[in-house]
Amino acid sequence: MGKAELFEQAAQAVVDANKDAAIDIAKQAIAEGIDPVEMINDGFSVGMSRCGELFDTGELFLPELIVASDAMVSAIAVLEQAMPVEQTSKKLGIAVVGTIEGDVHDIGKGIVATMLRVYGFEVHDLGRDVPINVFVEKAKEVNANIVGSSALMTTTQVGQKALEQALKDAGLRDKVKTMVGGAVCTQRWADKIGSDLYAENATDAVTKLKELFS
Amino acid sequence: MTKYITRMGDGQRVEMTADELMRDFELGTQDAAKRGKIDPLTQDDLKYLLEIFTCTNKIVSVEPGNEVVLTHDIGSLRLNGDQANSGVGIPLSRIQGIGVHERAFAADTFELGHIDYSYKPVKPIISMEQTEMETAQLTTTIPLFYGAMPNLGTYYRPDGPFGNPSDLLPMGKIQEAREAQEEAVHHATRDMIYIGEKMNAVGGDGLNFDTTGAAGDADMKATLHAVEYLKQHTDLAIEVGMAGEFVLGIHGGLEYDGVRLAGLYPHQQVKLVEKAGADIFGPVVNTNTGKSIAWNLSRALTFIKACVQVSNIPVHVNVGMGVGGIPVFETPCIDSVTRASKAMAEIAKVDGL
Repeated sequence: MGKAELFEQAAQAVVDANKDAAIDIAKQAIAEGIDPVEMINDGFSVGMSRCGELFDTGELFLPELIVASDAMVSAIAVLEQAMPVEQTSKKLGIAVVGTIEGDVHDIGKGIVATMLRVYGFEVHDLGRDVPINVFVEKAKEVNANIVGSSALMTTTQVGQKALEQALKDAGLRDKVKTMVGGAVCTQRWADKIGSDLYAENATDAVTKLKELFS
Repeated sequence: MTKYITRMGDGQRVEMTADELMRDFELGTQDAAKRGKIDPLTQDDLKYLLEIFTCTNKIVSVEPGNEVVLTHDIGSLRLNGDQANSGVGIPLSRIQGIGVHERAFAADTFELGHIDYSYKPVKPIISMEQTEMETAQLTTTIPLFYGAMPNLGTYYRPDGPFGNPSDLLPMGKIQEAREAQEEAVHHATRDMIYIGEKMNAVGGDGLNFDTTGAAGDADMKATLHAVEYLKQHTDLAIEVGMAGEFVLGIHGGLEYDGVRLAGLYPHQQVKLVEKAGADIFGPVVNTNTGKSIAWNLSRALTFIKACVQVSNIPVHVNVGMGVGGIPVFETPCIDSVTRASKAMAEIAKVDGL
C-alpha cells in the first residue's frame, strides 16, 4: 500500500471514530517504515481537521468528536513507541477556562473546554459563575499559559475586564494569553479590554490557540 | 458615496454604503444557504432588502395588507423583570402586565409566565399558577398561553438529580452523559405534560414551549413528546419556540419519528413540530455580534424563508434581542427591530412575529 493511501486510511479511521482501525493503521505504518511524525501530521491529524470541519457545519457532534479524538490519541500512542523521545507529542498549552462570575451559561464554554482537550491542550474547566480570584489562583496553581473566560450577558461581560486587571495585579498577565468568548463578546470588546484573543465559537478558539501555541 | 446608518450585531451604530450593504447581504444569505443546504435569497429579495436598509427614516413598517400577528413570549417579565431578565423593572403585577400587553400594546396573544420561566420549577407552585391563569383568563379576551422553557438544564446537577453532560463529556464519559440526558427526557416530558394538563383544567388557551432545544437535542425530544401527548389529551393550542437556528447534538443520537434531532435547521425542525401536533412554530436564528445587521438579517431571512415555504402551520419567527437579525442589546435598537420585522413579514412571508 502506498504512503498516500495509508495517510488517507488513517484520516478516515479518525473521521469514522474507528479506534481499532486507527491502531492497526498506526502499527502498519511502523512496519512499513513510515516516519511516525509524517503519519501523524499527514494522516491522523488530517482526519481530526476534517472532524473539526464537520463539527463546524453541524454534521458531527460533541460525543462523536470525543470518540474520534480517542481513536487518534490511541493511534498516536502506538506511533510514539517508534519515535525518539524528543519527538513524542506534548501538550500544546495549559488552559484555565470558566464562565465569568454571575453568569450560569456553561454549555458553550463546556464545548470549548472539550474541543481544546480533543486538540491536545491540558484544560482546567472551572465551571460556571466563577469568581475572578478563582481564575487567578488556578492559573497560578497549574502554571497556565491560557486563561479563557466566557460571558453570555452584557451584565456579566464586565467581569472579563476585571479578570484582565486581576491577572495584571497578580503579576500573571505577561505569562498567559487571555481569550474571551460568549454570545455578547466581539473582537472589538477583546481589543477594548486588552484580551489577546476573541473566539467566536469552539472551532475558532481551537484554531486561534493552535496558531499561537503550535 | 451615500452612507446609511445601520448596526453591528452588538448594537454598535455604523454607516455603510449600498454596495457594502449588498455585499453583506450576499455573504449572509450564502452562509445560511451553505449551512442549511437551502436556497439563498433571490436577487429580488436582496434588492428589496436594500430598499429597507436604505430608507432614511429611523423606523420602517410594512405596507398595508402585509401586517402579521404579534405573539409574545417571556410573559410580563419584559415589563416587571430586571435587566438580567430582559425586563425594564417596572413594578407591576403579572395580571397588570398582561392587561398592558392586551390593551396598550395591542398584542394578539400573550402568555402568563413565572419568574423562573422553566417548567420544572412550576411544579411545586402549580396551584398558584392555576389561580393566576384563571384570574387572567377572566380579565382578558386575547388568547392567553402559559409559557416556560423546557430547560433540561434544570434536571442536571447541581439543579437536578442527573449527571451534567457539561461535566461528563469533557471527562470522556460519553455513555454516562447520554444516559443522563435520556433520563432527563423522561422526567421533563412528564413534568411538562403535568403542567399542561393543569393549565388546561383552568381554561388556559394554550401552552408555549419557549427556547426549545436550549440544552440540546434531548431538550427538543422531551418537548416534542410532551406536545404529542398534550395535543391528544387536551384542548390547548401549542406553540413551540426554538432556542437557536440549529439543534445542538449534546447527545447526538436522539431521534423523534425516526429523524435524528441533532443538527436540524428551522426548515427541518418545523416538520417534526408539525408531526408532534403543534399549532404554531417559532423559529430562531441567532445574531452574530461580530457581523453587521445586514449580514445577520439576510442570513436569518434565508433560514426563515425556507422554513415558511415547507411549513403547514403558522410560523411566528422570534425577533427580539439577539435573534432574527436584531442586535444583542438589552433594549433592542428600534431601527433594526423595525427593519427586521418588515423584512420577515414581506420577504420571508412569516405569519407572525
